[in-house]
Amino acid sequence: MTEAAIVLPVDEADAPPLKRRRARLSGVAWASIVWLVFVVLACAAGPALIGLNPDITDVAHAYAAPNAHHLLGTDNLGRDELTRLLAGGRISLSVGAIAALVAMLIGTVYGALAGYYGRWLDTLLMRVVDVFLAIPTLFLLLFLAAMFHGNLLTLMIVIGVTSWLGPARLVRGEVLTLKERLYVEAARSLGAGDRRIIFRHVVPNAVGTIITTTTFMIASAMLAETALSYLGIGVRAPMPSWGNLLTGAQSDIFAQAWWLILPPGLAILITVTALNFLGDWLREQGDYRT
Amino acid sequence: MTTFVIRRLLLAIPTLIGVTILTFCLIHLAPGGPQVALAGEKATPEQIARLTHQLGLDRPLYVQYADWVGALLHGDLGFSYLRQAPVVQLIGQRLPQTMLLMGCALLVSVVLAVPLGVYQAYRRNTAFDRTASVAVFVAWSMPTFWFGTILIAIFAVTLRWFPVGGLQTIDTTAFDWPSRFMHLVLPAATLAIVSMAGWSRYIRGSMVDQLREDYTRTAIAKGLHTRTVLFRHTLRNALIPFITLLGGTVPALFGGAVITEQIFAYPGMGQLFWQSAIDRDYSTLLGMTVLTAVMVILGNLLADVLYGVVDPRVRYD
Repeated sequence: MTEAAIVLPVDEADAPPLKRRRARLSGVAWASIVWLVFVVLACAAGPALIGLNPDITDVAHAYAAPNAHHLLGTDNLGRDELTRLLAGGRISLSVGAIAALVAMLIGTVYGALAGYYGRWLDTLLMRVVDVFLAIPTLFLLLFLAAMFHGNLLTLMIVIGVTSWLGPARLVRGEVLTLKERLYVEAARSLGAGDRRIIFRHVVPNAVGTIITTTTFMIASAMLAETALSYLGIGVRAPMPSWGNLLTGAQSDIFAQAWWLILPPGLAILITVTALNFLGDWLREQGDYRT
Repeated sequence: MTTFVIRRLLLAIPTLIGVTILTFCLIHLAPGGPQVALAGEKATPEQIARLTHQLGLDRPLYVQYADWVGALLHGDLGFSYLRQAPVVQLIGQRLPQTMLLMGCALLVSVVLAVPLGVYQAYRRNTAFDRTASVAVFVAWSMPTFWFGTILIAIFAVTLRWFPVGGLQTIDTTAFDWPSRFMHLVLPAATLAIVSMAGWSRYIRGSMVDQLREDYTRTAIAKGLHTRTVLFRHTLRNALIPFITLLGGTVPALFGGAVITEQIFAYPGMGQLFWQSAIDRDYSTLLGMTVLTAVMVILGNLLADVLYGVVDPRVRYD
């Protein structure tokens, strides 16, 4: 590439960049939304439509290749893989969504308090965040998941309480600027209390940041589920989840059962990628608004 | 500069105290404990109670904490009753392996991410850039263990290029470089993939910003070669904020090492942490967490200092 000229990005700097970037990304963003809606609907309605029980074993038909009766074949115990995939999707998506909700709830309240009150409270709360940041998140996650390995709800809470640091810092940053706005002063002069100002005026205006972060959080919570299930401290087998199906499929590599290895892997990969794309697109929208 | 470093080190003290309190409370509030694992499955409640007393685990929490921190200040990370060895020794055996793995992963991800990011910025908004962007997003969204499994299936089981796992071929007791290297390739690639994805995105964005700067335009106007402009002018400036990012990856690498070492049966810190969490080996868990926290804090400090060394505009005061 000796003489190839460098194309300067002046066009982007001078021309309104808004339309260009938005138009380029929206295609991917659209595809992501379509995929996510499809996955949620399929997982919600699928098992009922297929009419097979994901837990009923049929050892005589174990490792059956995909056929008319079992569209994605059967696993090592003869269970219908497609039904398990969809039923597992329910679990994985719920774990992702609820864990993200827990993280966002903690992070938003924490960040809003730190950012709004400032001074010593902010210093104190942020020092606590520093403490958590000094410990690898996965260490905490593994430890808590191993200690409280039980039902789905504890799994969701454990993933949630180990991922609130990012949201807390982002919301704090947002609140720091929002609290200086005129409408906050107006609300205060009308006699609104701190709690009302924070949760009625400041936090609702940070909703862009919150939604964007939630999208990323769902993605990372779903990945956390697969990691924990791989280590045997996530969703308890025989309950299906994408992490569990993926882990189970590891032993099927030698059985050459591609229908057990690829579908759960692709399901999680495409869903998480879609969430990340969507989050990235949302973030760019937010950047241009300010 | 010296004042800056000293102030940062002083600020690290409360953080470290916080880390010790947090981990100590978490670990001691959790159900079960080393006495249960140590006593075995057939132990009677009396035996467990005796063991609890012998290990001093029935004393008030603050007394145990004070004891532990006191020993810590003397450089004593504790003793693992379960493994019958000092924690320092346990960590000492494994830390070099993990550092080697992390170092290789860092190297691989930087070597891949920098050229990719630079070329994407240079050819931005072309088909190549868009394809690479999607690929990077997919890599970023990949479950680590799935990627590791695929690597094993392809390169270890089918092609037989690399071993499935372990540290080095078993019969060799001495340090065997070629064997060690072959055992490092797949785990390092697995650990590298996620950070590689994030960094190439970052470098692409940073490079696009720098290409917009006046000095780049000047360099091109002077008639310099594309390569000279990209790598001697633009990249140098694009890499400055990247240094801070590098310092911040220490915790992610330690975390990622847990999964990676598990997949490849690699005897490092991550595997030790995982086994200790399962066994509820308090002393090992505490020692490892504190040591990791120190490394994380030092990593961040080092990144901040380097930032100033590389960028003369930064002033510490």
